[in-house]
Amino acid sequence: MRNPFKNTAYYIKEAKTIFKVDLSSNILSILSIGLIFFILTLILTGWLISNNIVEIIEKETEISIYYNEGLEKDSLDNLLTKIGNIQGIRDAKIVSEDESYDRMVDILGMEAKILNHFENNPFSSFIEVKIEMESLDHILNELEYFQDIDYIRDNRQVIDRLQGIISIIEVLGLILFLAIGICTMIIISHIIRQGIYNNRDEIYTLKLLGAPDGFIQLPFFMEGLFLTIIGGGIAGVLWFILIKLGYGNIYNLLPFMPLPHGDEFVWPVITFLTIFSTFVGIIGSRFGLKSIK
Amino acid sequence: MIKAEDVSLVYPDGTVGLKDVELHIEKGEFVYIIGPSGSGKTSFLKLLMGIEYPSSGSMQVLGQAIHKDEEKGIRNIRQQMGPVFQDFKLIRGRTALENVVLGMRFLNLPKAEIYFRAEEALQRVGLKHKKSSYVETLSWGQGQRVAIARAIARKPTMIIADEPTGNLDFDNAVNMLDLLTSLKEKDTTVIITTHATHLIDELDEGRILYVDNGNIDNLSREGAAL
Repeated sequence: MRNPFKNTAYYIKEAKTIFKVDLSSNILSILSIGLIFFILTLILTGWLISNNIVEIIEKETEISIYYNEGLEKDSLDNLLTKIGNIQGIRDAKIVSEDESYDRMVDILGMEAKILNHFENNPFSSFIEVKIEMESLDHILNELEYFQDIDYIRDNRQVIDRLQGIISIIEVLGLILFLAIGICTMIIISHIIRQGIYNNRDEIYTLKLLGAPDGFIQLPFFMEGLFLTIIGGGIAGVLWFILIKLGYGNIYNLLPFMPLPHGDEFVWPVITFLTIFSTFVGIIGSRFGLKSIK
Repeated sequence: MIKAEDVSLVYPDGTVGLKDVELHIEKGEFVYIIGPSGSGKTSFLKLLMGIEYPSSGSMQVLGQAIHKDEEKGIRNIRQQMGPVFQDFKLIRGRTALENVVLGMRFLNLPKAEIYFRAEEALQRVGLKHKKSSYVETLSWGQGQRVAIARAIARKPTMIIADEPTGNLDFDNAVNMLDLLTSLKEKDTTVIITTHATHLIDELDEGRILYVDNGNIDNLSREGAAL
């Protein structure tokens, strides 16, 4: 029976030989791939952090509903229940006049004394509603039919801007991700083409001896794969050092920012890098071999 | 084994390689193809190996048509051949043994069998002691014998040698042809091109084909001597 792994050692040895034939160029290629992947991991890290922040901010997205002040307690409870049942609402609670006042005191801080000029509490009670950001339009449409509501402060401008930022981050991330993926594939396929050119005499001899294309191509394929995996490894090490040394400082310097802890994205990034470098290596190598044909 | 019917080969630049060739070579034959340089000997070998395709006529080698659409079939023919190229086409950076082994790696043979055959072939050409030497460190003659070892280790149906006596003096050339004769197995067809017609007198065995201006004709030994 034919052993499909009979030539594995040969393929690995050949891949090493091909690598050595153009050693300096291949080392530079590995470094280039490593740096490209490193940039990619930075983008990925930024994307994970921004996602985390957006998620936290999204949870805090709220609208304020001012209701008819003459509303009886039962009617108010009923209104609160009905609002709470609308799809896309996380939480709804009544903020009393006093609580509104206290909050403003907290916000104004040293300037809070200005409130002493009012004889009575100038703030109204309202319903504070935490919502899912993308459900804002739906919620506002539903609330239109509620007769006891006087006014809704929907923070639309802020929410729209936030959604715009999220969209930009997503699109920019995707574009950079694609650009870097394509760059790496081009580099890999070029390296393979170069390797095939450097070994053209050997390839021709093997063809004359009747070697199948797969037998001839596999060492080049493996070389491309090794280059990207090693490049991915270099990127992983650089990124890990940066996270351990640099990110910790940023994290401590910005305690008010809801940054995730560095350890939270070590495994996602390393897993992604391993899968992505293998995938790019396979696609880039296939592309390089196909373009030679 | 080899059947050419009205085969012509014209290169893209208009050079005529072969003209209306009619030829049959049977299994186990020993054939010398002689003729001056540029007469069409190499063109014929290129057709045999599927490096070139007939411009007209039909050619069959080992039952397989030589045609540009028959890539798989041509690969199959090549796997059954033991070619000894004029420039040997040994792979640099590999030892003599590795070169012989490499010629068999993609054949459906167990690894142990491949190494056994490679060592045996190197022994038959008298180079077992050089098996670990890199081919670029070998002399011209040793390189040629490694190429022969690579060809015979494959136990081919057909051995093709292109000008194996090209750079050899008379004695060494005769020895080379002797070696190829002795290495021939019973059913193996051997085709050797040479422009050194004077050497053939030294050997008893073999049919002679004379190539000139792209035409191939059978030739008697007396004719070759003349």
